[in-house]
Parts: sequence; structure tokens; C-alpha cells
Amino acid sequence: MTITIALPSKGRMKDDASAIFERAGMKIVAVGNDRSYRGRVEGADDVEIAFLSASEISRELGNGSIDFGVTGEDLVREGLANADARVEFCARLGFGHADVVVAVPEVWYDVDTMADLGDVAADFRARHGRRLAIATKYWRLTQNHFSGSHGIQLYRIVESLGATEGAPASGSADIIVDITSTGSTLKANHLKILTDGVILRSEACLVRARKAAHDGDPVVARIIAAVRGVV
Amino acid sequence: MALINLPVFADELLADFESLGTLRVDTPVIQPAEPFLAMAGEDLRRRIFMTESETGESLCLRPEFTIPVCLRHIEAVTGTPKRYAYLGEVFRQRREGGNEFYQAGIEDLGDTDTAAADARAVSDAMRIVANRLPGRHLSVTLGDQAVFEAVVGACGLPAGWQKRLIHAFGDQKHLQKLLTELAHPRTVGVFGPEVVRLSMDGLLEDEDRLVAHVAATMEATGYSTNASRSPEDIARRLKEKMELANTRLDRRTLDHVAAFLALDVPLADAPAALFAFAQKSGLKIDDALTRFDARVSALSKTGAEIGAIRYRSAFGRPLDYYTGLVFEVELAGSHAVLAGGGRFDRLLTLLGAREHIPAVGFSLWLDRIEKAIASEGGAQ
Repeated sequence: MTITIALPSKGRMKDDASAIFERAGMKIVAVGNDRSYRGRVEGADDVEIAFLSASEISRELGNGSIDFGVTGEDLVREGLANADARVEFCARLGFGHADVVVAVPEVWYDVDTMADLGDVAADFRARHGRRLAIATKYWRLTQNHFSGSHGIQLYRIVESLGATEGAPASGSADIIVDITSTGSTLKANHLKILTDGVILRSEACLVRARKAAHDGDPVVARIIAAVRGVV
Repeated sequence: MALINLPVFADELLADFESLGTLRVDTPVIQPAEPFLAMAGEDLRRRIFMTESETGESLCLRPEFTIPVCLRHIEAVTGTPKRYAYLGEVFRQRREGGNEFYQAGIEDLGDTDTAAADARAVSDAMRIVANRLPGRHLSVTLGDQAVFEAVVGACGLPAGWQKRLIHAFGDQKHLQKLLTELAHPRTVGVFGPEVVRLSMDGLLEDEDRLVAHVAATMEATGYSTNASRSPEDIARRLKEKMELANTRLDRRTLDHVAAFLALDVPLADAPAALFAFAQKSGLKIDDALTRFDARVSALSKTGAEIGAIRYRSAFGRPLDYYTGLVFEVELAGSHAVLAGGGRFDRLLTLLGAREHIPAVGFSLWLDRIEKAIASEGGAQ
């Protein structure tokens, strides 16, 4: 059976992923020209490469139309319910680092933990006539962290697809859940991360869709072993 | 058998509602999503079917009836008291059972005799379920948020801790975690470096200066124009947080709370058990107990089978609009909730009613009742 591996289709992620596979003895060449969205592994006819956008990769892993994908853990955990039952994180690849964090305005001197935030959220409606609003594109991760881990129910998510850090200052939300790698954008927007506000320390991972057909497949085992051997 | 999905006993159910003197209401299936999310929290979003209007307004398929019935009541301004009954389809994403199913129930709005209204809700729910399942034994669990609030209030904890505990009531795991924290404070609270600086500058003892400092910082960072929390809010909560950090629940009080939360007795014995608890602990919870007793005696006057009801002190719902009674009706020996209800005195004002409207109600899970009827047929 042919194994399909999806890799990010552009940018740093594409280069870093290709470099890892090359080190693992699986040099990837594009089929046709350089801009092609299909590729193959030199000397391995049973492996196919598909170049997709990072968020598409997590979706395709979820519905099992690809076997492996290289994408950020944050996108997989946000995109798929019960991620661990549906996919396996085979290897952490050491690039694409980003933390998904809960950040509040620096001037909220009384809020440094999720427990503090829970207190503020519980009172919010009585004081301000509406629920505490969180700007984020990470609905699922936010819900799991707030309701699942910290018993906080009383908040509203305001969808934000860009420039999330600006939401508290512009008044479209009170706090944010977003990714950060250095924290400098948060700082520039006068936001601080709660001490227990790191929801996920994400990086690029080699992820396998859990399929029964993979059991005992030597190609699957070989790919995992090769990538693990170089990270 | 007719090929419709309405429960076979729908007519009898409606006849019951009528004999109980209720007013039948219907509400649109397509509802604005906002009130449901605002009341029940973001967790609901995963469990309802949402869509958008052409103008971008969030809409959903009716996931339950209480909020639409209350909204309708507020809009109609027909005055209180009113007892509404409903029967219709609701839509939820469920792991078990279909995504669309029928629900019926009664919402009793505006009756100021809360003991009598509570008793009527419990006895009506029991009667209606019993009518569908003649000869079967029901078991009812009853809880009371107000008694827990009184116990926490009487323990002499700072307001911040009381709020935390009351907020967690009904969420066993979370409540336990908070109580453990109270008994063994791990840290004295986490305060950021800025707060340490404020403390060295002596700003924490002087609320006016603290407020001025927060306001100046907001101004300087361009945050002030849209700030939801005012400098006063932040200064007040900072003070509250310092209190929280310095509180430790002594062993004795913690034992009292634990003893209270372990109460699980037949309702008929509950007044005596609560009285004994109050005596032994020395906690002043007389007012809450008086109201509890009034409900029990009102309930015995309704002719409901009191022997089928147990009082479980820790039973509650962690939603901020429930204020007192909560209850669930099951078939004895099973764990499928056939009817559930409670008092939600805070809901109507949250939804925009101008005056305070006490409210109590319950809903019936008709698909589970149908299943219970079928299981009886199978057993015979």
C-alpha cells in the first residue's frame, strides 16, 4: 500500500520539514516543477508526498485521507475532538515552537492565575452586564482549559482571526488566548501571560492518522523510526 | 401505529398539563443563540446547532425551553404569576440518543410563595412521570443551593472565598479542590512583580493612591478608553485577593463543611438531620433551614410520595442562575433522569426582566420516558 505524507506547502515550515526528512534518509523531490503540490521520496516508490497548508494537514489527518502529516500540535489539538484517539504524535521535530497562552492586560494587577481569572469571570456579569469575553481562534483549546481544567464556565468566546493581541485595547474582548513564541507581541500590547496560563507548548510534529491498516506495515514503521532517529 | 415521532403519550401529557391549570406556550424553533451561550456558558456551543442569519446574527435550533419561555414572558408583559407548559422538539448534539427529541415541562413564574411553588414543581413532575409509568417506583434526588450558601456564609470566610465555593457548588471535583486548597494553602497567592513594587511603594495600603496609579497606567498604555474593568474594580479585587491568600480554613470548620456535604438522607428525615448538623457545628443557618422545612411540609401537603425523595446536600448545578431547589426524577434502580428541575430566581433579571421574578420549573425527557415504558413492556 502507498503511504501518503503531507508536508507544509510553504515557508520555513516546508524547508524545516524537508530538511528533517532528508536527514532521515528520505530526500523529497517535487513531482514536475518546484511549485508542484505533489512530491515523492527518492528511492521509495511506496511513499507519496502531498504539500498542503498546515491547517489542512490536521483536517486530513482527522478524516484519515493521509497517513502522516507534519504540522503544529496546536492545529491538531484545536482541529480534532479526541485528538489522541484519532492520531498519534510520533515525533516532536524541534521547530515551529509556539505556546498557546492565556493573556490578560498587564494592568490587571489582581490577576496572575487562572483561579484569579475564575473569580473575575464569576462576577463579571453582575459588574459589567455581560460575560467576560475572550478573543481567540482556539475555541476547543480554550474550552478545554477553562471548563475542563479550571472549572470556569462563565465566559464568551469572540472569534478573532488576526491581530488578536489588539482585542483588549480595542475593547472587542477582555482577554485573549493566542500563540506566542517570544512573548514580544504580547508585551508590546501590554498583556501578560498567567502563571498557569500556558495551555499548550506546541511545536511541529510528525503525526500519524490511526488506521488499522498501519498495524504491521513495514513502511509505516520505517518512516517513524527514520524520523525519530534524527530528532 | 402512526408514523410520527411525537411521543405516543403526548395527548395524555397535555391533558395532565391542562388539569394542573397551566397555560400552554410554544416558541420558535429558531432562536437567537446569544442568551443560551450567555446563560449556560461556552460549553454549550459544542452541544447546540448553530447557524447565522443573513445579517450575521448567531442563531441556533432551540436546545431547551426554559430560556425561550422566559424571554417570551418578558416580551409579552402579561404580568405574574404565570404557569406555562410546553411540549415540543429540542435539538442538541448528544453522544447517546438522537439529536432531536421532544421535551415537555412546566415553568412557574412569579409565585412569591416559594415553598409552595417548589413543592408543586416537585410533586407535578413526580405525578406526570408516575402517570406514564403506573406501578413503577420512582426515586427523586433533591438538593438546595441556598442551604449550602448559608453553611458557607456561616463559616466566617472572606467574601472572595465564599463566592468561589458557592460558584463551584454542584461541581464535586472543583469544590473538593477548593476545600483542599483552603485547608493547606500551598502558596500565599501568586502576585506579579508589579504588585510587589506597589507594595514597597506603600500603594497597597492606600486605596485612593492605588486607584490613581492604576488609572494613570491605563492612560499611559492606551488601554483606558475601552477598559472593561475600572481602576476601582482592580484595586478592590486586589484587596480581596490579599484576603483570599491570607485565609486558612481551620480543621474544625473544614470538618463541618465536609460533614455537611456528606449528608444523604430520606427527605422526611432531612429537617432533623440538618438541625442536628447545625447544633453540632454551631453554624447559624436558621433562616435557610426554616425555608427548607417549609418546603418539606408544603411537599407533604401536595400528597406526593415523600418516601421516594432523598435529600443530598452536595447535589446542585454549577450555573449561576440556580438559586435554591434542584431535583431529579429517576426510575428506582436506573440512572436515566426522566425529569429534572429547580429554582432559578436570577434568570429572568439576567434575561432582561425589569423586576425580580421568582421562578421554578422542570422539564421531562420524553424519549427516556418512552424507553422506560418500553423496558416495562419487555420485562413483562
